[in-house]
Amino acid sequence: MVNAMKNSTALALLCLCLYSNFADSHQHQVATEQVNDKKAQCNNSDIICAKTVTSAFAPNGDLWRLWSHQEQMYFQFSHDLGKHFSPANLVDIAKEKISARNENRPKIAFDKFNGVYLSWATPRAKRYTADVRFSYSADYGKSFSTPITVNNDHLLTGHSFNELHVNDDGEVSIVWLDGRLSYQLRKQGKESNGSALYLAQSTYNKSSGKFNFSNTQLANNTCVCCRIAIDINKDNQLAIFWRHIYGDNIREFALLTLDRSSQKQSEVKRISNDHWKINGCPHQGGGISIDKHNRYHLTWFNQGSKGKGIFYAFSDDQGKSTSTPLAIGNSTQQAAHPNILSNGNIVDIVWQQFNGTKHQLWHQKSIDFGKTFTAATQLAQTKNSADRAFIIKKDKKSYVSWHRPKQGHWFQAL
Amino acid sequence: MKNNITSLFLLLMAMASGHSNASSIAFNKMVFEQLKQDNHGQQWLLILWSVDCPACIKELKLIEKLDEEYDKLPVILINTDDSGEVIPLRKKIISDHRLSKFENYHFAEDTAAGNRYLIDPTWHGELPRSYFVNEQGVFHGKSGLLKEKTLSKWLINVNH
Repeated sequence: MVNAMKNSTALALLCLCLYSNFADSHQHQVATEQVNDKKAQCNNSDIICAKTVTSAFAPNGDLWRLWSHQEQMYFQFSHDLGKHFSPANLVDIAKEKISARNENRPKIAFDKFNGVYLSWATPRAKRYTADVRFSYSADYGKSFSTPITVNNDHLLTGHSFNELHVNDDGEVSIVWLDGRLSYQLRKQGKESNGSALYLAQSTYNKSSGKFNFSNTQLANNTCVCCRIAIDINKDNQLAIFWRHIYGDNIREFALLTLDRSSQKQSEVKRISNDHWKINGCPHQGGGISIDKHNRYHLTWFNQGSKGKGIFYAFSDDQGKSTSTPLAIGNSTQQAAHPNILSNGNIVDIVWQQFNGTKHQLWHQKSIDFGKTFTAATQLAQTKNSADRAFIIKKDKKSYVSWHRPKQGHWFQAL
Repeated sequence: MKNNITSLFLLLMAMASGHSNASSIAFNKMVFEQLKQDNHGQQWLLILWSVDCPACIKELKLIEKLDEEYDKLPVILINTDDSGEVIPLRKKIISDHRLSKFENYHFAEDTAAGNRYLIDPTWHGELPRSYFVNEQGVFHGKSGLLKEKTLSKWLINVNH
């Protein structure tokens, strides 16, 4: 009995000791559970509260940045390339959930008439359901229209990973991954795999004061959890680059070009051939940027049996053929999430790496339309978490936008 | 004795991370080492999942189904969503699929990259991710939804 008590005492002391050591060495862990309280106290309008930041240049040269926190969106603009920003402005619309982490984030675009356009995905009650939402400001952000739902199927199913393009005249194109077809097939007891690629287009109707979005299916059997990439080619055609499902869950990147005027769509072209077979979520979208000669610059990430890591290739025939893919980044340092932008003869690629303790932002540049690239250089690093990095441009200069939650938004010329 | 200490240790960890019901414990290096130590000598399965991953839920359903037929499946679950906003959904999924009897862990706020690297530097975060761990503690990783037959073969034949 005494021995048993001794053993129990020893056990209790040992556990207390272990607990004490644990509590000391895991303050971060405990703190993380308190982060929510901290975030609740943090100023809602503070950009460091955000998980993601979306940056874009307005036609007048202002740099805008947009983020969401606690079911609201905020923006700031800068007249001096990010040296100074306006106070944070609330997008004054009713609160609603906004998908804004990892591959999902609100999008922003402009027209030449001081119009500001927003698009985002709002999760619905059932798991994996969401709607694509849209709001418009005619007065450079002073006020925004009541949000409307862009997808017109009225189904409780997935609509997300939206991308937004607005031309100077205010013609809006929104592309997203849509679950309506798989929803209908499931209702019929049939098998489905992946989502569909959908396009909505509209122009502001001055007489009705409304946007009336069309809904057009462009492709079926897309991966359900990777962001889409879009750009406009020199003929003002919308090009879309996404992760598609081929055969038995082979996840490869695909490309199509849509003629906006005739609504004719080019054949879907398979771009990558890395043979990544996965019945799951890669959570890694690609990047596309089209130069003045109509060369499509493409970057993507795969973990296939024939190709692992980040790759770059260009196509001069809208994806019918591509250059030999060039490996980018250090796979042993988890190189991932590439983004790309062409600007004149220059092509910039940025991506992230993680060395076990630090997130690093890396960069490679081409000055000959993607024929050759400089050696990779590290631009920045952070110890804590990091959002995806994106490149944007103003005139002949390109800039990288990289948000680090709880630390701040980093913006620098390339 | 070792098991008692481990149980108390994990309970205290749950207390430290603010989970009085111990539904899920924050994952870190110390926890990982303890898991490997506790399970050394047996064949087990580590499943990493996210609330954002439909295929992950299918895999959890397979575990739920097998658990209805067999006792003490050597399965350990880690939720990879390192965002406080998913906590209610994470708890709901664990509850809905009756998975609370398993050891459940999660990546605490802003620790996903570090924890992924800790588990496997070659894993890029695709999900679901499963590690088949043999008696010698050797990890074999596989990405994507596992087939029921594969799960049964690994979890049942050896231990039942």
